[in-house]
Amino acid sequence: MYHGIAASAGVGIGHIVLLREAVIEYDKDKSVDVEAELERFKKELEVFTTNTMQVAEDVRERIGDKEAEIIEGQVMIISDPTLKTEVEAAIKSGKCAEQAMEEVCDTFIQMFSAIEDEMMRQRASDIHDIKTRFLKQLIGIHDVDISKVPAGTILVARDLTPSMTAGIVKENVVGIITEVGGVTSHSAILARALEIPAVLSIENCTTSLQDSEEAIVDGDKGIVITNPSREQVEEYEERYKKHQQEKKDLLAFQGMKTKTADGIEVELFGNIGTPKEAQTVVESGGEGVGLFRTEFLFMDKSSLPSEEEQFESYKEAVIAMNGKPIIIRTLDIGGDKEIPYLEIQKEDNPFLGYRAIRYCLDRPEIYRAQLRALLRASAFGDIRIMVPLVTCMEEIRSVKELLKKYMQELDAEGIAYNPNIQIGVMIETPAASIIADLLAKEVDFFSIGTNDLTQYTMAVDRGNAKVAALYSTYQPAVLRSIRTIIQAAKAEGIMVGMCGEAASDRRLIPLLLAFGLDEFSVSSSAILATRKAISEISLDKAKEIAEKALQLTTEREVFEYLSQNMQ
Amino acid sequence: MVSKKYTIKNEQGLHMRPAGLVTKEMMKFNSDVSFAVNGATINAKSIMNVMAACIKCGTEIEVQCNGADEEAALAKFDELYNNGFGE
Repeated sequence: MYHGIAASAGVGIGHIVLLREAVIEYDKDKSVDVEAELERFKKELEVFTTNTMQVAEDVRERIGDKEAEIIEGQVMIISDPTLKTEVEAAIKSGKCAEQAMEEVCDTFIQMFSAIEDEMMRQRASDIHDIKTRFLKQLIGIHDVDISKVPAGTILVARDLTPSMTAGIVKENVVGIITEVGGVTSHSAILARALEIPAVLSIENCTTSLQDSEEAIVDGDKGIVITNPSREQVEEYEERYKKHQQEKKDLLAFQGMKTKTADGIEVELFGNIGTPKEAQTVVESGGEGVGLFRTEFLFMDKSSLPSEEEQFESYKEAVIAMNGKPIIIRTLDIGGDKEIPYLEIQKEDNPFLGYRAIRYCLDRPEIYRAQLRALLRASAFGDIRIMVPLVTCMEEIRSVKELLKKYMQELDAEGIAYNPNIQIGVMIETPAASIIADLLAKEVDFFSIGTNDLTQYTMAVDRGNAKVAALYSTYQPAVLRSIRTIIQAAKAEGIMVGMCGEAASDRRLIPLLLAFGLDEFSVSSSAILATRKAISEISLDKAKEIAEKALQLTTEREVFEYLSQNMQ
Repeated sequence: MVSKKYTIKNEQGLHMRPAGLVTKEMMKFNSDVSFAVNGATINAKSIMNVMAACIKCGTEIEVQCNGADEEAALAKFDELYNNGFGE
């Protein structure tokens, strides 16, 4: 039995397919017939070019244009006459095609790596990729084609790369095991999105596990059992059936309204990070998007996205919502989210420093592009703008003034926008919570960000293991703060939602209902489970639980009491 | 030989996409096409050479075409330049 990190829930029973990195070896001293070798190179190059173009097409259909362009760029590099001429010259000097290709590519890799430019360094990795794939083809090494693995496959790899994950067919893969990666790694996020059980961070699993060995992946407990006994298989088959039944039961909540047991309706939204996920929220039964993090537009890039580029993304998302509301949070960088080209200097206390709205108001030219893009996209649906990390009234008033100015600009340019666009505050600091009654008079809605609210209220760095235990939303201080915020919104009659982890926490749902939360925004995969949890409790019962919970004095007592009351 | 000077106006210089377009189009001509840039002369039909020259926004390049269809090659480059290399 192997222990790892439980990264994606569920259990899977199947057979292992190892994705081992191939060792590229060939005889460097073999004597070659120059003419035959030139002919061989020419033929293999043609095959390679055709295959690469095919991959680009595949990626375009399955993933998107941008990703396909990267691979098309590789086709251009392969077709480069300099590359071809130099490889041919090396073959003429008596080298085999493998060695000729390797040497020429290495020269280019060195050349590109030496240039002080991020984009040129990326070309170096492109050429490296081409070299590896071409050598594999010449030598005759066949990689496992992930898209063609048989049903009941457990994938075992050092790490899952984006190109690997693109090929996964969810019906055939019952489990994922990797050597590296944690709960927030790319592999984990992907496994959860595909609802495939995953156990990560099992050291040396690519060498200790055997190809085609039978295994059980337990993504709930984070364990892997190889060559299971009959009893173990039976036990897990039982659990698998139970999991499937639970999933099926949840499907009954698809397309239903979100109501408490006694018929009180609330709104259930989804959280997203890219425009494409808007579609997923709608398909998962979400009634809107409660948090669209816009940082993705700024990350993984070498320069600022233009107004046009941002407009296209927001427009894509709002159109996918088909009239349903979408709350878009303006740029929330700084703190733990670093973007190299913005050149934000290192700070002693980044979470208390130059970040989010503070940064944006200080850099109006960057904020202008985003606000204008949002206004322009608001002509295509129900976009609402949310401002993060607000601590005082001046900040929200400044944003409103900027919006007024940009609306006038757009009027002058004859560009359409929604003049009644809603502006809201993300309540995630104690300051905002304490002046929630004042802020409620100034904005159209609140959304409570429980992750930061907990961290700032408890004055605790959740990344610091020595104090992380204090980081808990069940802390009486945090619960009282949430109640204050919701009451302040109710008193002014504005909408109040929640977009942190707490909104899908079955222990906290009764409290949120009792306080009067209007909108729950959760990750797409938690939408149906949250709707089910809400449907199982009446408002009276919720109020009873909340009243008792708020009288408890310690985090432990609150946690235990709420756990007992979880159906 | 015909030649003409240009100042690159693309925000990110001649990176992958514009460089790919230029080399693809120039390859269609029989003439030799090269760029004189930053004191070096590079083959304008090689995307690797063009990218490695790291031609940034604001850089001046001289396009030199030499061969039977040199006029047509330069005219084509002119057209690509005026279209911002498709950006």
